[in-house]
Amino acid sequence: MIDVVVVGGGPSGLAAASELGAMGHDVLLLEREDELGGLLNQCIHDGFGTILFSESLSGPEFADIFMNRIERAGVKVRLETYMRSVEKIEDHFVISTVTPEGVETFESRALVYAIGCRERNRFEIEIGGTRPAGVFTAGTVQRLVNLYGFLPGKQPVIVGGGDVGMIVARHLYLEGVESLLMVYPEDFFSGLPRNAQQCVLDFDIPYKPRTTVKRIFGDKKVKAVELVEVDKDWNMIEGTEKIYSCDSVILSVGLVPYSEKVEELGAEIDPATGGPVINEHFETTVDGVFSVGNLIQIFDYVDDAVKSSYTAAEGVDRFLKGSFDKTRSHTVLNPGEHVKTVTPQRIEYEGKDEITLFFRPGVEKENVEVRLLGKNGILKSFKKRYVRPSTLEDIKIPKSVLSGNPEVVIDVR
Amino acid sequence: MRLSQKVKKVLDKYPYDISFIVDGGIVFLEGKVEKHHEWVEIGLKVGQIKGVEGVVNDLSWEGKKRSKVERPETEIDNKLGAHEIVIIGGGIIGCSIARELSKYRCDVALVEKGPDVAMGQTRANNGMVHPGISPSKNTLKRRLNVLGNAMYDELCDELNVPFKRVGSLILITPRTLEGYRRYLPGPLYNIFLKYLLPWMVKKKGQRNGLKGIEILKGSEIFEYESVLIDDVISVVKIPSTGIVDPYALTIALYENAKKNGVKFYLNTEVVDFKKDKKSIEQILTDRGTIACEHVVNAAGLYSDEIADMAGSREFTIHPRKGVELLYNKRLEDKVDHCLAELKIPSHPTSKGGGINPTVHGNIIWGPTAVEVESKEDTSVEKETIHEIMERYSSILPDFPKTEFIRYFAGVRAASFTEDFIIRAAKEVENMLHVAAIQSPGVASAPAVAEHSVDLLKEMGVVLRPNENFEPDRDPIDRAADMDENELKRRIGKDGRWGNIVCTCEMVSEAEIVQAIDRGAESFDAVKRRTRAGMGECQESYCLLRIAEIISEELDVPLNEVKKEWDESEFFNGIVRGEEQ
Repeated sequence: MIDVVVVGGGPSGLAAASELGAMGHDVLLLEREDELGGLLNQCIHDGFGTILFSESLSGPEFADIFMNRIERAGVKVRLETYMRSVEKIEDHFVISTVTPEGVETFESRALVYAIGCRERNRFEIEIGGTRPAGVFTAGTVQRLVNLYGFLPGKQPVIVGGGDVGMIVARHLYLEGVESLLMVYPEDFFSGLPRNAQQCVLDFDIPYKPRTTVKRIFGDKKVKAVELVEVDKDWNMIEGTEKIYSCDSVILSVGLVPYSEKVEELGAEIDPATGGPVINEHFETTVDGVFSVGNLIQIFDYVDDAVKSSYTAAEGVDRFLKGSFDKTRSHTVLNPGEHVKTVTPQRIEYEGKDEITLFFRPGVEKENVEVRLLGKNGILKSFKKRYVRPSTLEDIKIPKSVLSGNPEVVIDVR
Repeated sequence: MRLSQKVKKVLDKYPYDISFIVDGGIVFLEGKVEKHHEWVEIGLKVGQIKGVEGVVNDLSWEGKKRSKVERPETEIDNKLGAHEIVIIGGGIIGCSIARELSKYRCDVALVEKGPDVAMGQTRANNGMVHPGISPSKNTLKRRLNVLGNAMYDELCDELNVPFKRVGSLILITPRTLEGYRRYLPGPLYNIFLKYLLPWMVKKKGQRNGLKGIEILKGSEIFEYESVLIDDVISVVKIPSTGIVDPYALTIALYENAKKNGVKFYLNTEVVDFKKDKKSIEQILTDRGTIACEHVVNAAGLYSDEIADMAGSREFTIHPRKGVELLYNKRLEDKVDHCLAELKIPSHPTSKGGGINPTVHGNIIWGPTAVEVESKEDTSVEKETIHEIMERYSSILPDFPKTEFIRYFAGVRAASFTEDFIIRAAKEVENMLHVAAIQSPGVASAPAVAEHSVDLLKEMGVVLRPNENFEPDRDPIDRAADMDENELKRRIGKDGRWGNIVCTCEMVSEAEIVQAIDRGAESFDAVKRRTRAGMGECQESYCLLRIAEIISEELDVPLNEVKKEWDESEFFNGIVRGEEQ
């Protein structure tokens, strides 16, 4: 029996596995690709590690640090591993895997899911028109350009003004496309300001805010798109349609957590995040099943995702040692006005420790008050200079603030 | 009244100067109307006249695109081959006829302009094997639908293609006769919907030759399908309705026909015919000429143009688009039967539509039915997606209607007589039309093939049984269907069985390589044979991995891997500095 199986060898999985290994647990890490690192491998730009290591590393450099830790911690790694099924039998898990070497079954006492998310595709945002070759998600383009050395097209249109869209725009610009246009529905780029400056503005890459793609044209290959302006609620404004010639469409329009596998085990899913509901130790509603990283919510910085894995590792450690207080005291955290998501969604254990609550604002606003509301009114409030939906916010509170409140609402005023 | 008088009577209702000729049951219309929908409407009205065997609708409408079809040149000196029978068109109909003919000692070839079979309406079909309750009596459709449906078990068993007789439920709800409510005051409306209407539907089915039809009322309805809206008044249950994967079946027919000696010319477009008087001697294609004794016109949407090219104009195809929404497999358990809410009169843009399970576990909503100007118009608009979600959620209100993973459209090859046109060409001695096969074309296909062979015999083709005919076909085995021991055994022999390339559908590299070995040359051809890329993420994870395997197996650079057709390469350009 293995102590813990970590599923997914991206940054969150690497961090959780190395931490648990260092604590002396018997850890097995499963990864579907033929190398560890996950998304980090296709991110050859820098900007990783500024919080954790105070330096700006590229994706592979950042991954390297954790691969060394994995090795030192004695974590066993299985690559090219497809997880076919997981079953909970009494107090342990039976995991059936498929690899080019064969079919293997493992048993473990705990499970950590770090399988991240996938990119939303053209069907999920209901782009009309035809379905020709030349429509890609941004992640596919990153891999194509950085790992295979090919371009998606010579005249791409990028949909989405988030970080990934901007980083892909810069890569394509530098790698020699003939023309490039970015469109996005917000008033301004929704990604980090430093990326807007360094990826788009510095290179004079053309962009159209409050614009989206309504239709794709072309029978065999993309020939053009129909652009349309949108209002502040992202509704298309009739009469503003314009045809724009291009040969490819690259979508960076949001991420969807891979929550299916966790859901199959019976874990409750939060409709707001799309990921599993977790407690302060990142344990899902199924005992012994933890989940970390972008499966929980989309982190803006890989550093934050890694830190959350550390917290989860402490929880797994306590679970394995049986030192969790069996009587769970519940506080459910819910999003209130101008808040879209809150994680963790529940606080289940008494304690004096400080916890970090992440929330995604539902509004763009300056000088706001973030409030925690309990049964007798405001439990605590914080001032924030500026919030917006595309930036994940966090607040740190002593757990004791919440005690005695079965429900706490976080809102923004 | 003579036919021409009846035609005149119809045309007189329109404020246009329309001239017409009636010749041997075929009506030729000429003139100009204002709108495309009038072109359709007039054609249909003329087509409905008793005794009309075909409508050649040369009316033009304002704004009609002068689609001067650019036909490629023939390489007249390149002789591709000579065959007794040549089938034009590699859809489910052409491939069914090819396989049926391979049961006889006969030299058969099939010509398809696309790079694969099942490239037209076949691949954009919802896979319902209709029972044959809808077509009206005296239609060829009705007869072949009922016959074809009954042939499915054996056919799919031989070809190793998944087929399920799931049965269908025709739902009668308060919305069924909304337009006639005022004629059925008070309790009459419900009584009619609960007792009389289901009985009438059942009777119609029995007249069409269907067996086992049941009427369900009250709580027994929900024992069959628990998620239905609770105001369903009565249900007509038809047990013989089935579901099949239409392109998988067509690929299987193609592979089996090939194994039994049929020669397939893919990527080969017919551009003209060389005739001696009233008989075709050679088919001219963009790749060369094919000598032949008989020709079967199974060209689907283009069957009217092929007829025209051969000099036997008898009908015009009016393209009718159908849009479908495909749902996540996670929702498989929500729908067990083919479901359709009966509406009289039927909705103008959705006749025949409903909610169906598929053999792969996806649920499919649709199709719509909209007359379109272009035969190639498979675009899908956002408004249509929402229209479908709205319309069908009336019977499944709790279904998560926004969780579709893809939408697509196909174009039906409808004739103005709205029946199949299967007959010897009137002006060409050795051409058989198997045309205007739209819904229920999939269900009818096996019977269409048998009927076509009978007609070929009548036309003088001598067919003796082929004792060496092998009815069976091996499918591509699927890792996802294997138990642990079987998969272990396979991986022991070939590690590619353990390299899972598409994680949504659990498709291994071995399956993809097998599909390529069997002739798939493009991403979509691989996809149709293996289901790689058909899951929730819609290729966003596996596109590059599959493209890489195709590139290796076919020994072409990655940027020459095609989605489907020529000029549909996925990628264009090489990263700066990596030109070598």
